Amino acid sequence: MRLFLVLVTTLFAGTLGASAQTSEAIVLTGGPALRFMEHGKGDVSHDVYWFNFVDASVIRCRELKSQAKPGEQVTWMIYRPAYAARGKEMGVDLIGQLTAKAKQLGVVLKWFDTKEELIAYLNKGFDRNKVKIVDFDYFGHSNKACFLFDYSNAIDTMSIVWLHVKDLRLIDSGIFAKDATCKSWGCHSGELYSREWKSHFDVPMVGAKGKTDFAHGGLPELSNSDGKWVQ
Amino acid sequence: MKLHLPRLALLSVVVLTLGTMACTRLFAEDNPVDDGKYKAPDGGPPPVAPPLRKGSPLDHLANDPKTMTPSVGYKEGNTGGATYYMAHRLPDPQGGLGWGWIKKSDGGSSWNSATWVTVQETLGVAVAPHRKLTKQDGDTNWEYKFWGHFAAYKAYDPHLDEQLPVFVLDGYEVIGEGKALNNKIGPPGRIQHRPSGASSRSGSPILSDPGVD
Repeated sequence: MRLFLVLVTTLFAGTLGASAQTSEAIVLTGGPALRFMEHGKGDVSHDVYWFNFVDASVIRCRELKSQAKPGEQVTWMIYRPAYAARGKEMGVDLIGQLTAKAKQLGVVLKWFDTKEELIAYLNKGFDRNKVKIVDFDYFGHSNKACFLFDYSNAIDTMSIVWLHVKDLRLIDSGIFAKDATCKSWGCHSGELYSREWKSHFDVPMVGAKGKTDFAHGGLPELSNSDGKWVQ
Repeated sequence: MKLHLPRLALLSVVVLTLGTMACTRLFAEDNPVDDGKYKAPDGGPPPVAPPLRKGSPLDHLANDPKTMTPSVGYKEGNTGGATYYMAHRLPDPQGGLGWGWIKKSDGGSSWNSATWVTVQETLGVAVAPHRKLTKQDGDTNWEYKFWGHFAAYKAYDPHLDEQLPVFVLDGYEVIGEGKALNNKIGPPGRIQHRPSGASSRSGSPILSDPGVD
């Protein structure tokens, strides 16, 4: 009987420990363009390969999982409508593929369709007084003023869902741990976004001066020799 | 048959452990190790766009014949509704992504009251008229009847860092070439910009002012 009680207590305590999050790492992934929108654009045609941002995100998720401390949740946030539309265009279930990838990685998948959903999760996905974000990575289209979750997918060369530097004020400034590491892997973020990010959250965000290149299939690299990562 | 509780507990733990091991093995077999990178089929090419699906909007865009100018009277999409808008095409000389102006079709509306918009195409139903032309600006100053509606959201133009009203296009009819309008180009409050550098492969200069509310 004692053995039984010990076993039950141990299992119960273990379950409690596993579900009690103490910190969170977030990988945020924007969507690809439609080929319809990018047809005929030659060298500047975007997202020939539909999982540019996904492959890089998967690599980062895997790194974060391997480094995660006990109680740290790795959350993968993906802008769903772009993958649904691209999947429809291709006749392939990209949403299903992404769901399977997240399951395989052992990360928590959070879809979002709007900027408001994203902001709500960042602010209230957990009690941010207790569960701070310790790592943040963005993979997707961007210019210096914006993360463009949708780009050339609903409207040619434009975005209908984005997070502008002026939207940062909608996110609680205390969601990050003081020593959090943040990085935008998109283009041009280091030219304005990083500065506004630091100003609002008081944590630095590494961003690129110049363009980044996702085309080789791994984590993106700076496209040009005169580009650099700044924060 | 009677089982003592400790034995029952041990039995449960053993069964759970064996079950977990079996599930893990099954899952591993169904999901080979994935290093996250794209893997082309053996002997296949590197990542490329998927093949065109016959009859898809992309197939039509790529393969339908194109003309220099629109064909007067041509209709596309849903054009049966009594309510429509008048549309005047003008590619933005500043490089912005607006389509042109739209005004209500009732006789009292002048072009002075028209709204500078971008057009959201409805793939498979109606796409922008210039898709049928050899050049994107081949219909400059042409006028159309547009069927559709204004979206509840705006679109962000990453080149000029500004937001535009969105007209969702369900159908159109080509009216003909019109006179150039003297309207202000761009959304209300447009300021003079230098181009910004839009997307992940654009190397354009940066913005002079974010300018978005």
